[in-house]
Amino acid sequence: MKKLLSTLLALAMAMSLVACGGGDTSTPSDTSTPSGSGGDSSQTQGEDPIKIGFFGPLSSASASADGLSGLQSAELAVRLLNESGGINGRMVELVDYDDALDTTEAANIAERLTTADGVAAVVSGSYSGPTRVAAPICQAAGVVMVSAYAVHPDVVNAGEYIFSQSFPGAVQATAAATFAVEELGAQRIAIVAVDLDFGTEQSAYFKAKAVELGAEIVSEDYIAMSDNDMTSVVSKIASEDVDLIYMPNYYGHAAEVCRQVVLQGLDVDLLGCEGADSWQMLQTAGEYAEGLYITTNMDRDDPNESTQAYIENYRAEYDMEPDMVGASVYDAFEVLFAAMKEVGTDPVAMQEYIANMKDFDTVTGTLMYYTSSGSAVKPVQIQRVGEDLQFHSYSVIDDISIIDGDNIPVVEY
Amino acid sequence: MFLQLVINSLAIGSLYALTAMGATLIYGILGILDIANAGAYLIGAYIGYYIYISTGQLVLAFLGAMLSVGLVGVVLHRTVYGPILAKPRMLSIIPLVAAVGLFTMSSDLIRLLCGAGTKAYNFRFPVDVVRVGSVTIQTTWLLIFALTAVLLVVLWVVLNKTKMGLAWRATAEDPDIARACGVNTNSAMALSYVLGYGFAAAAGIMTGILYNSITPALGEVPSYKMLAIIVLGGLGNPLGTVVAGLLIGFAEVMLSTYTVLPIPKDAVAFVVLIIVLLIKPSGLFGQRNKV
Amino acid sequence: MSAYVFSISATAAVFVLLALSLNIITGYAGQAMMGQAAFFGIGAYTAAILTETYHVNFWLALILGMLFTGLCGAVLGLISLRLQADFLAITTIGINFVMVALFNNMSITGASLGLNVTKPSFFGRQMGNQEFFFLTLIVIVIVCLLIVKMRRSWFGMALASINNDAAAARSFGIDVSRYQILAFIIGTAIAGLAGGIYAHRMGYIASSDFAFTVSIQILSMVVIGGIGTIRGPILGALLLSVLPEALRFVSDFVSDYRSLVYGGLLVLMVRFMPGGLFGSSSPIVRGSLWVFRKITGKGGAAA
Repeated sequence: MKKLLSTLLALAMAMSLVACGGGDTSTPSDTSTPSGSGGDSSQTQGEDPIKIGFFGPLSSASASADGLSGLQSAELAVRLLNESGGINGRMVELVDYDDALDTTEAANIAERLTTADGVAAVVSGSYSGPTRVAAPICQAAGVVMVSAYAVHPDVVNAGEYIFSQSFPGAVQATAAATFAVEELGAQRIAIVAVDLDFGTEQSAYFKAKAVELGAEIVSEDYIAMSDNDMTSVVSKIASEDVDLIYMPNYYGHAAEVCRQVVLQGLDVDLLGCEGADSWQMLQTAGEYAEGLYITTNMDRDDPNESTQAYIENYRAEYDMEPDMVGASVYDAFEVLFAAMKEVGTDPVAMQEYIANMKDFDTVTGTLMYYTSSGSAVKPVQIQRVGEDLQFHSYSVIDDISIIDGDNIPVVEY
Repeated sequence: MFLQLVINSLAIGSLYALTAMGATLIYGILGILDIANAGAYLIGAYIGYYIYISTGQLVLAFLGAMLSVGLVGVVLHRTVYGPILAKPRMLSIIPLVAAVGLFTMSSDLIRLLCGAGTKAYNFRFPVDVVRVGSVTIQTTWLLIFALTAVLLVVLWVVLNKTKMGLAWRATAEDPDIARACGVNTNSAMALSYVLGYGFAAAAGIMTGILYNSITPALGEVPSYKMLAIIVLGGLGNPLGTVVAGLLIGFAEVMLSTYTVLPIPKDAVAFVVLIIVLLIKPSGLFGQRNKV
Repeated sequence: MSAYVFSISATAAVFVLLALSLNIITGYAGQAMMGQAAFFGIGAYTAAILTETYHVNFWLALILGMLFTGLCGAVLGLISLRLQADFLAITTIGINFVMVALFNNMSITGASLGLNVTKPSFFGRQMGNQEFFFLTLIVIVIVCLLIVKMRRSWFGMALASINNDAAAARSFGIDVSRYQILAFIIGTAIAGLAGGIYAHRMGYIASSDFAFTVSIQILSMVVIGGIGTIRGPILGALLLSVLPEALRFVSDFVSDYRSLVYGGLLVLMVRFMPGGLFGSSSPIVRGSLWVFRKITGKGGAAA
């Protein structure tokens, strides 16, 4: 027994040694050294590349398509920047990690990026969970993080160093409700949402706005991410005399609702969200998708040079259609590049520059400004699937009382 | 609406039965809870997809996928499960751990080889739906009914009218006595894998056609849901599995439509299972205890 | 750098604790537990709700979370008496899915938004990865001592005999069911404690943190390390939590194959080394014992 005890003690010591090993060599890792990474790199101007961190769900079976879309756009953004001369002559190096959609991995990655890798800024190309966990770590380390498309409200609430490139769910859903009731004249609405924060948040804000505008929410259904079957939900809605189905969900669910609505012969308008903004949606739903409206941030018909260039470049490089996830990641990099070109890599200066950005031209339209909490304010695009089974511009919602999240009354859900 | 929902639940239930049948056949003879059957389902869906898009022949896709995945099953039995079962085990769930490992590998292999994105079969009958009164029947459902019926008949014929089937039933009853009587238990086990993995592959293709999409995550829900179904069906009882599959399909559709479920539809199978096991610890149709 | 190392260490330590807890149920009592993450989650949510909603002291919340989880474990222990191994395995998988579904849907657990957890303070200083690591380390040492004591006592002997043959144990007059339930209580309670520590260390928990895949991860650690030993789960958990991080250093290429490697390792282990990498029959352990003996020149018997 003594032997066991001593083995145990030895093990405990070994573990603490492993843990302390790094601690002895570098400065104490108190959370109060915000300028560590940025300060170092500015001394070697023109020499070392500027590192930008990126993480996304690359190896998760259910989310890896989004992870890949994000990573490809990140690589594209960095490559194009370096080809055009980098940040005032300095190259940018992408440090990318796979979080496997796991919060503990995301925590490790965020610690690694902000300390060991010494990145100048971080882009989250992941979902709400990992981004939510990484945000406070970046905030504490004083490293700017731009979240590409995570919608959890607490991401930006982590602090002033955290920005979000996509609309908060509240903005998108309020815009959707306004469009559904005022432009499409919907009076009886059914909601088919994904059973995640992405779906519940948008559902709550949509409901609040639609009811305020005089429409009635006839039914609400929350479907688990893993559930493919929409047959019975649509059968139920068919018996309820509904004139619009609102779908705050992802492409798999949205495609199946589109198909079931046609097959079961419902005469309703369909309104999805940015979660349906993917080539995968169009491929799966095929002709059944025709007439589907979505709220999103990318207008594929935008004559804007940078938008068209991004779409062209992405297609040429990867032989795939770009989607909202990729475009948002690309924008997040563009924002960081712009900040670095102007003020260098000092995190305090970068934070200040980004927080005060005005009317910045991005792939997903004009970024008007960031709200006090750090969410991007930009027009909400309404896209419609046309006869050619592609997304096309249909309408734009740029009413500042809708697209600035600070103007939307908080809804408890 | 109720009639429509019953038809919906029949289609889903048949698909569940088809999906769980493979795992039932393997449990029936080897006593393994084979989560890796969901890997066979996933790989079958992808092989079927590639055959279908390159030849345009759906029948060929089914046969090719069922056969090749069935062979994979035999190879796995020879190299992994057989040797594990032959050794004395510390823990009864060791083969289940191996199955989990195989399933993890299959999902990741598909993601690496075939890409992360969705693939669509785009298989369509000339007519999408048949309307009978107020009820709509989707033609792909008819395919599910037909396929389930055909495969069950095939299964019945193989198990009851062939020598191999006799060996299978004898082995399922008691492997030691069967071996003592000169039954080739090895070939019975191989038959289990060909049929079991073949069924799973067919179910995978069917799912791919029904929802017109396959992704590397396709096997995740079936991997555990089919365990619940085979336990409800009495572990290793093919007929019980069909009844259990239909029952779960019916319960899911009805509960999710007429009640506000505090849990997702996919968890219904387990709630039913836990309740049934608490009342009757040997499952709905379990006659005997296998250890 | 050190913050990163402590982040990994804190995660690894929680998994060591989880592997040890599962090993009590699976390794010592021989019960087919496939849903350990459910109890990890029950402990995490209980402790987090206590500190966040009811403003209970962090340390008290940890203890209460542990006790409540143990209570839930007792119920499962009672159920397990009625079920044979395969049914128990599936039931525990089912419990895992149902619990995750409930976490994701109940308003008290923050539903799909998850739960924010304020990091506690220790002597006026907010606890970070470093403090949580040392806290978990202390708990691990205590748990190990407890297990050693358990194995020596009657309880341990009873569990060992249950594991080999329940009927034989019964014929010696050992109250099998009592010990089996005790193993479930202790095993789940430790998982619950790990949950409480995890929740407060991460500062945010969501239902997916306790998914079935996490149960599989814990089980893999026990099986790969060596079931039924103390060093096995510890080393297995260290290996599987540090290895993925180490692979990040190697290259993108390797890190992309992590799941494949993970699954493959699992299959190879149970196929060729069912006793685990560090089990008593493992060549690694035998080899190092041999080397150890050569060096010290003593012929001590293997533990």
